[in-house]
Amino acid sequence: MTIERLQDVEFGEELPVFAPDTGLANVKRFALAAGWDGPRFTDHEAARAEGLPGALVPGIMSQGFLAAMIHRWAPEAQIENVDTVFRAPVIVDQSYTISGVVTDIDEDAGKVEIDLTVSNEAGETRVFGTARVKLPS
Amino acid sequence: MILDLHTHSIKSDDGRAKVQNYCQWIRAREIPIDGFVLTEHRQFDAESDYQALAEKHGLCILKGSEVETEYGHVLVFGVTDALVRAFDFTDIYLPLARVVEACAQYGAVPVPCHPGRKRVGMSAHLEEHGVPEGVRIVEIYNGGSRATEDEVAQAMATELNYLGIGGSDAHIVSHIGRCATRFPADITSESELAEALRGSDFEALTFREPAGD
Repeated sequence: MTIERLQDVEFGEELPVFAPDTGLANVKRFALAAGWDGPRFTDHEAARAEGLPGALVPGIMSQGFLAAMIHRWAPEAQIENVDTVFRAPVIVDQSYTISGVVTDIDEDAGKVEIDLTVSNEAGETRVFGTARVKLPS
Repeated sequence: MILDLHTHSIKSDDGRAKVQNYCQWIRAREIPIDGFVLTEHRQFDAESDYQALAEKHGLCILKGSEVETEYGHVLVFGVTDALVRAFDFTDIYLPLARVVEACAQYGAVPVPCHPGRKRVGMSAHLEEHGVPEGVRIVEIYNGGSRATEDEVAQAMATELNYLGIGGSDAHIVSHIGRCATRFPADITSESELAEALRGSDFEALTFREPAGD
């Protein structure tokens, strides 16, 4: 179910869980388009040679996933801010899930705040943050 | 009484949660805790008054701090004006011995947190600095740590005969209450919390679901 208006949102409401495509082909496409096509994002061996655990999903791509998740839930949402804290790298070709939940509703301003968490298969938080979103009344 | 002993609000540089939303979340989701301690990074937030919020939601809201030492991060409970003057909370290179000494002098309790983590956890620094004097308690359940990091913390606590506490290390609203600490009696103030921690009658709890569930 998608959200159309602020009045449809409840405190504590969970957004549908989103499984982003962090496969190498998708990351390569994004990195090329964003001008971030360095080997640490597109080549596992080159990334390991830099001491990384594998090729990294660019941070701006992770933020893009968060925005995409919000728009799947509320297509008319105006995302004012996505504020992330990267606790650990998001690695290409590993599986992640993004969860989101509404933790504040400002009816006067027509805005909601959403907690966002990117977790790996072990359930460990890799990225967390919040988004402030304006919704139609 | 169950308290989440390790939380951060927007007063911390990497905190994103408003205290009022923590309260709202705990009640809306029926999180099984009776309150929480705000342990803001590198500071003691003396100015904020959460009493009205605590009363409105029927929760205990206390304040502590999380400071930084050569052994990693350390929670401090029972912070007083005198303790704030005893060392520079903003210093990221505090000697743990100085923190321990000042806590002993002013009735506070230091607790190394997420001790199983690399760099910011105590276990990573034992080889270089040795076992520190004056530590009795470590955080054995940390809601922001990996399961393997908590296992390191628990093994260290067993080996060195430390008591254990739990805290969520929440930085966003929905992470509060993932881990906590149970006390047999009610606690209503920072000094009562410090007194309880100076004893040994408390139990670390985790409410996290096992990985893969």
